[in-house]
Amino acid sequence: MKIQVKLSKDQIKKLMLSAMGFVVLVYVYFSFFLGPLNTSRDTMLAQIDELQNKVASSKSELTKTSNLEKQADASTKRFAALKALSPEGAPIAWFPPRMKAFFANQEIDKTTARLETSVAFKETDLANWMRYNWLLELPQADFSTLGKAVASLENSEPLLSIMRISIKALPEDPQFQQITLSASTAMVKR
Amino acid sequence: MALHLNLLHEEILQQRQRQRDPLKIGVMVLGALGALMLVYYLWNAYKVLEIRNRLGQVQHDWAKVEPKVTAAQKRSAELNSIISTTKVLDGMIDGRFFWAPFLEKLSRCVALNAQLTSIDGSVLDDGRISIVIEGLAAGREPRAAAEELRQLLLEQLGQSYAEVKVEFKSLEDLDTIVNIGGSNMAMARFGLNVTFATAAAKPSPTPGPRTKVREPK
Repeated sequence: MKIQVKLSKDQIKKLMLSAMGFVVLVYVYFSFFLGPLNTSRDTMLAQIDELQNKVASSKSELTKTSNLEKQADASTKRFAALKALSPEGAPIAWFPPRMKAFFANQEIDKTTARLETSVAFKETDLANWMRYNWLLELPQADFSTLGKAVASLENSEPLLSIMRISIKALPEDPQFQQITLSASTAMVKR
Repeated sequence: MALHLNLLHEEILQQRQRQRDPLKIGVMVLGALGALMLVYYLWNAYKVLEIRNRLGQVQHDWAKVEPKVTAAQKRSAELNSIISTTKVLDGMIDGRFFWAPFLEKLSRCVALNAQLTSIDGSVLDDGRISIVIEGLAAGREPRAAAEELRQLLLEQLGQSYAEVKVEFKSLEDLDTIVNIGGSNMAMARFGLNVTFATAAAKPSPTPGPRTKVREPK
């Protein structure tokens, strides 16, 4: 059975008006009410997620740092000891007197130490350190005293390495030698 | 059968038309839909408020933890830097060449009839050591005395260092005669080139032949 609804012109107009009202209602609802609310909810959920991740990773970060602190104990002590080998002040001010006093204790007098060059290390880990190259001149020493002094120097100055050694017998007194040492040291940048 | 006459049919039709007014029905439908939508919106707004509270709580937690984490990250970076710096410095310390043991060995090799006049040693860029030794040797055969020194040096240094080479740079007889222990002896001037590798400069050992893998039964 087919029902035929006959609508008048006025009724069709009113129907159209109602349909337009429906569209406007839906548009306003989603664009100005539900849409912004959902956007705000999504943003907040994303923020919560991000912060919860950060809090979770921070716990592992704190644990990691605590473990690292324990593991680095030996390195920290050793680093402090190596750093303590470079006193405050410019090396040119304290290194030559230190060498003079050191060799004087080894019965080698009149030692002079001159700074030849100072360069930054190429290694990125040593960005706060500098390499200083020194020329140590020992005008007179006998061979055995020199040997003991060099041994003592190498043992007491771990960051010093002798790169060149020149020993010449004194023509007028062959028992004694004139010694020149080229030494390189690693020192903290001041 | 009674006869019914509808004399108000026009009025009744108008009333029916008023009741079926599409605008009126549309407004009612829209009103109902609007009410439903409002309820749904309020429900969502309530849930958003809950989420906002949760966010506030999480932000509060993070605000408490953040300074600690920042400090921990900074400390961690500092410790890693200390560890790597110490490692590099230790490498430098371990890779040093110690001259004192060499000088001791050298002093043991020089016999009474030899005298060293000059020693020039240096650490090369590849970690190898190069030394030039000059001196005088005396004896009935002064060249043999110099050769004896060379051999002894080669033997002694070979005990501690690798790839030891001790070669004559020069060896010449001198006209000078010296008196050692009451007897006159001829003299020779010599120059020696000594090169060797320290432990740090030693090449890594080559791997041995691969052992045969046992086949499963």
